[in-house]
Amino acid sequence: MDDASNSSTPDNPPVRGWVTVALLLLAATLANAVLEPYVSITSQAMLYVLVIVIAAYRLDWVQSAVCAVGAVTSLNFFFVPPRWTFEVENREHLIALAVMLVVALVISHLASSVRRESVHAALSERRARQLQALATRLANVTTPAEVLDLGQQALDKAFAGPNMLFLTLDGTDLATTEWNSKIQDGLRCCMNESAVLGPGTGRWPGLNAWYLPLGEKKHMLGAACVQPALASDNDGREHAQALIALLAQAVRRVRLSAKVQAAQIEAQRQHLQGTFLAAVSHDLRTPLAAIVGAASSLQTQNEKLSPDERHRLLGSIVSEATYLSTLTENTLQLVRLNSSAQTLRRDWESVEEIVGAVLTRIRQRDPGRRIKSKVPPGLPLIKADPVLLAQLISNLLDNALTYSQGEIELSVGVREQSLDMAVKDRGPGIDEAEQELIFEPYRRGDQSGPRGAGLGLALCRAIAVAHGGSLIVRRRTGGGSNFMVTLPIDEQPPEQELP
Amino acid sequence: MSLKVLVVEDDREIRALMQSSLSVEGMEVQTAVSLSEARALLQHKPPDVVVLDLGLPDGDGADLVRELRKQRATPVIVVSARHQEAQKIALLDAGADDYLTKPFSVGELLARIRVALRHRGTSLAAAVTCHELEDLRVDLAAHRVERDGVALHLTPTAFNLLARLVRSVGRVVTHRQLLTDVWGAEFVDHTHYLRLYMAQLRAKIERDPAEPRHLLTETGVGYRLADV
Repeated sequence: MDDASNSSTPDNPPVRGWVTVALLLLAATLANAVLEPYVSITSQAMLYVLVIVIAAYRLDWVQSAVCAVGAVTSLNFFFVPPRWTFEVENREHLIALAVMLVVALVISHLASSVRRESVHAALSERRARQLQALATRLANVTTPAEVLDLGQQALDKAFAGPNMLFLTLDGTDLATTEWNSKIQDGLRCCMNESAVLGPGTGRWPGLNAWYLPLGEKKHMLGAACVQPALASDNDGREHAQALIALLAQAVRRVRLSAKVQAAQIEAQRQHLQGTFLAAVSHDLRTPLAAIVGAASSLQTQNEKLSPDERHRLLGSIVSEATYLSTLTENTLQLVRLNSSAQTLRRDWESVEEIVGAVLTRIRQRDPGRRIKSKVPPGLPLIKADPVLLAQLISNLLDNALTYSQGEIELSVGVREQSLDMAVKDRGPGIDEAEQELIFEPYRRGDQSGPRGAGLGLALCRAIAVAHGGSLIVRRRTGGGSNFMVTLPIDEQPPEQELP
Repeated sequence: MSLKVLVVEDDREIRALMQSSLSVEGMEVQTAVSLSEARALLQHKPPDVVVLDLGLPDGDGADLVRELRKQRATPVIVVSARHQEAQKIALLDAGADDYLTKPFSVGELLARIRVALRHRGTSLAAAVTCHELEDLRVDLAAHRVERDGVALHLTPTAFNLLARLVRSVGRVVTHRQLLTDVWGAEFVDHTHYLRLYMAQLRAKIERDPAEPRHLLTETGVGYRLADV
């Protein structure tokens, strides 16, 4: 039996009660017959009173009253002289029997009302506890589905059922539920009227269940059907209403917080997109202007230009276009990495090789060989996307070439379970306050100033993070920056005998 | 007789640019804007070299390369954008000879065409068996590798790997091709063998293994033995 159930003792049906009455009377009578030679009639009467008290304690009022009458009658019939008749010859006996009958009836009435009250008190306490427990558990839910789940459990615990709980979530249609049309009608009707229907409510008293709405008229959130429902069981109905009110509150809270979250994400996205577009267009405009300027100058003033000037203009067209190409590539790559639809194409890669390939390419921009690389032999292989890793190293070196003069140091080393890569320059360095900000894609709102290098670094960090690693920058003692990449070293491929 | 180049490219500007810069070099340039047009031209008037753009409107070009390989050894140079990495490798594995990544300079395009033509008809002409560039000298027939005139000792596998690159000198050889030809078709996924043996080779052959002069890495694609 459910511990908060309101139904009276369905496992103690009347038949069993009557059988108990009969057994109790029979047992008392037999015991008295056995004890008769040794005890007086007063003790025999007391034995019957004991039976009456037991019956009053265990059985309902009618049964215990019948038991009381039966006990007095039995005493009279079997033991009060003249025996084997209902006659009473002695006046004293008559008075004793009458008093005993009255006492028996009073006892049984008192006992059964005490019992009813204690059952009622226990039920109320269980219900209060259930409400409290439900409120605590609902405080932690984050989705309407969880509310539905907890709500159904609570109703089933409190009422024998079958109970139905329906939430008008995400346009769920009542007609698609598997409940019969009578229940569907009841739920729909109580939502329309936003009032409790069923026995004892004055609305549709003929129903065999209570239909309770979740929420108010304008914000109807759902409805519940609770059984069994008795018109007299006001407490039960109130408990059902209290449960439903808790559920409605939880649904409202969950919905509200979901809305707030969605709004925050959307606002953030729009802000990001806005600054992104502003910065990209700023970074596109400058090189485009340079290209158009140089190209149109060659087109219209070709004859007037000296070979040196022509050469310079052509060089600027090529370098600006190359810059645009890199910018586009970085932007696309960053968008792809962030959209997370891109899966890395990872394979066993040698960092030595990738660094070598990047250096071969970047030396064209580094004729003075400012980049000094220190890559020890025998580095462990790492599981990485080679193209992205090359882009990371290339962006870091490119930045160092652009923003610093003097020597640039590229070093790779192994530390415990990670591979550390560092690009150190002797440029102006980065203030501590800026050391995190420079990795954010286009945080600059203003469109003035030098062309942005921010996107390249944002991509570098995104690549490191996508590989389970990190990228940070620190000031070097003696000036300049130290960009440090850390990549995890996976378990090495099996060192089997190579064929 | 001048060289015939077929340029398959759907962008008008790039097509025009390639046509003019190749014509200036004395080549006879045909152009096609789609794979179907390219197929017709290949049947009708076989070129000496094909420059094939990826991302054509009517297919990805791999079929075209396979069809072409059934009949001739005409060199195919694939032109791809950065994000078409996988497609590019598929075409190289299908038998294309080399690739160029957009944006590329005219100089790079001409260099690729020159290398591709040098290998033209390797099946007919004597295969490359000797390679010499600066400090490195490889003689496949004599099984001899020298740096600065000093013979190097290579393990058989390392030698086979180098030999495979020498036979395609100047051209990219994909990971898959190297693994298949040196170790066998069942080893195509064992990229780490390749990394370990290349590191070994570089350590022997290169002056500065961290910044190689000969054994060039084509990141994510394969390796190339430098020829210039």
